[in-house]
Amino acid sequence: MNNLNKRAVPGNGRTIDIVKKGLNKRYRKERRFRVFGWAAVMISLGFLFLLFISIISNGYTAFQQTMVRLDVYLDTDVIDKDDLAGADYAKLIHEALLSVYPDVTKYNEKRKLYELVSTGAAYRLRDFVAKNRHAIGTTIQIWVPADDDVDMLIKGHIDRKTPQSRRRINDRQLAWVDHLISRGQVKKVFNMTFFTSGDSREPELAGIWGAVCGSFYTLIVTLVLSFPIGGAAAVYLEEFAPKNRWTDIIEVNINNLAAVPSIVYGLLGLAVFLNFFGLPRSVPLVGGLVLTLMTLPTIIIVGRSALKAVSPSIREAGLSIGASKVQLVAHHVLPQALPGMLTGTIIGMAQALGETAPLLMIGMVAFIVDIPAGFTDPSTVLPVQIYLWADSPERAFLEKTSAAIMVLLLFLMIMNATAVFLRRIFEKRQ
Amino acid sequence: MNQEQTTGHPHIRPGRSPLVERTERATVGQTTVEDPRISCKNVAVYYDAKKAISNINLDIGRNEVIAMIGPSGCGKSTFLRCLNRMNDTIEGCTVSGQIFMDGKNIYDSDVDVVPLRAQVGMVFQKPNPFPKSIYDNIAYGARIHGLVQNRDETDELVVGSLKRAGLWGEVKDRLKMSGTSLSGGQQQRLCIARAIAVNPEVILMDEPCSSLDPIATAIIEELIDELKQDYTIVIVTHSMQQASRISHRTAYFYQGDLVEVGSTDQVFLNPLHQLTEDYITGRFE
Ligand SMILES: Nc1ncnc2c1ncn2[C@@H]1O[C@H](COP(=O)(O)OP(=O)(O)O)[C@@H](O)[C@H]1O
Ligand SMILES: [Mg+2]
Repeated sequence: MNNLNKRAVPGNGRTIDIVKKGLNKRYRKERRFRVFGWAAVMISLGFLFLLFISIISNGYTAFQQTMVRLDVYLDTDVIDKDDLAGADYAKLIHEALLSVYPDVTKYNEKRKLYELVSTGAAYRLRDFVAKNRHAIGTTIQIWVPADDDVDMLIKGHIDRKTPQSRRRINDRQLAWVDHLISRGQVKKVFNMTFFTSGDSREPELAGIWGAVCGSFYTLIVTLVLSFPIGGAAAVYLEEFAPKNRWTDIIEVNINNLAAVPSIVYGLLGLAVFLNFFGLPRSVPLVGGLVLTLMTLPTIIIVGRSALKAVSPSIREAGLSIGASKVQLVAHHVLPQALPGMLTGTIIGMAQALGETAPLLMIGMVAFIVDIPAGFTDPSTVLPVQIYLWADSPERAFLEKTSAAIMVLLLFLMIMNATAVFLRRIFEKRQ
Repeated sequence: MNQEQTTGHPHIRPGRSPLVERTERATVGQTTVEDPRISCKNVAVYYDAKKAISNINLDIGRNEVIAMIGPSGCGKSTFLRCLNRMNDTIEGCTVSGQIFMDGKNIYDSDVDVVPLRAQVGMVFQKPNPFPKSIYDNIAYGARIHGLVQNRDETDELVVGSLKRAGLWGEVKDRLKMSGTSLSGGQQQRLCIARAIAVNPEVILMDEPCSSLDPIATAIIEELIDELKQDYTIVIVTHSMQQASRISHRTAYFYQGDLVEVGSTDQVFLNPLHQLTEDYITGRFE
């Protein structure tokens, strides 16, 4: 019985010797594999790092804005106390500038001087006067935003050594700016405007808030529609639908839909929501509808796999105690699948937040100054705003573009963190 | 060692009639009882085209513990799952034949599985408590069936069921804790408590101790011994010792056939079929 010749392994030599001989080769293979994996991670981290470096280095200056201090005489001839809104505040600003440089008389020179401060300065002054009526008739000090070219100069984006003809600020303006700086009338402050205003033709007045609101309303519509519809579809298909040819066809087509380029959904939205149903253009409601169509397949697919992952033993437990099919799903399967479904929804929402192409087709690419206040106000969204700014020629919009990208990335990170957080909570509960 | 035991030689013990041949697959022994709780007629189960069990005729008496034994893959679980129609949930599984309970074939098209499963509880091989609190695990079945009307009744039911399952002392301070946080043996007793909380008439157990250590197994066996006063218990087990300790009758399955049924003592001490004897003497295959 104990016949040593009856070995399972051919050849002679102890198993331990054979194993030891091969050991080095085995470990070398493992080391090589680890190095590959490590290198792959490092490369992707490196690119991510590069991306962040380039965005942040381009964009961080957008969070500051150059301001100019002016001594403005609130002339009672210009401001009518009974019609504050009708006054020509721009004129007061211009006079304040002229009072610093009385030697400027020629029309062209005057225009160059006026260009040092933003056209938004007049609105600042108007708001100031509206709040301080008693100051009318006196001279006040007010900080107003500088023009974007001055802003760029102060931030070092305009090279003084380039010849005047190729510079957006001429030598005379340079001298004025240097003079103002020497008098302490120029400073950089945190750019609140960027976070509170809508878009503008003037970079120093342009802000992200309009696009943030537009994105918010659009995503609300998307979420409110796609989560219940997608969730219900996933539950029906996974738990209740009979398994036959029809459900197979539906399943294949949902997978196909998930792969359809997003612009096609834009065209569909244009044809159905705008042309057929006559909904207004450029509004979050339609944007949300289009993005719902786009995210539904993702949510359904992720939802189904979350349902599929619920352990069969829980299902058996529920059924064997006499739960009906609906009770089984509602009491046992859904609570288990919910974190997965929520994660899928948030990933779908993040996708929707970054989507541009379908929204272009339904007119959300318009230049919109007003902050949208509802689902049917014309608006744009963050990625479209980025696209619009990236398309603008002014140097100042370059930094705005990067800053807007940072804001968008921040929102995406918050959403993904929420997904992780939600999953933790649900996992802990079980 | 296998060489010593070649097949084909019926072992004839002195003073006993010869055993039924291995090739003979008709059930031997006493398949019927008087006034059965469950009566199976010609039950066969197919998974798609593959036959799992066939030609099963078996009565299960009132308040009896009947053990199903046999090598793995012989169809014990399949048969057990016929009794509460859990096979319905498996795709491609078809059941033919009749299973009578209270004079009604449970496979008739007008039978609702929900009340059937409230009447025939089940405990699985792997403990599968709900990922809910211990309290809710037990209260769940009674709640969905409307067996309890208010909080007090539910409390009473939970405490009573846990006590019957011998788990009360161990969990009385942590009813709010998740059922999945208990040890394997405790989880299995929780599952038994959950099954008896619905007050079924029959309890099916599919190898309830196979994932437990000997101490937990002994506790569960004791529990089964106590439960048999009130319930009809059908238990699948791979342990012949367990079958002989707890059951009144034993049914031996082999390759999808019910080979022999009889009182547990008779089956283990005096098997009628060669295949049964092979199995209980460890000469199986
Ligand atoms: N869900 C299933 N699908 C297909 N075949 C199955 C399924 N469950 C069991 N079977 C087959 O049916 C036969 C009996 O299985 P089972 O009843 O689980 O045996 P036992 O419980 O006695 O070990 C086996 O051959 C097994 O492969
Ligand atoms: Mg089994």
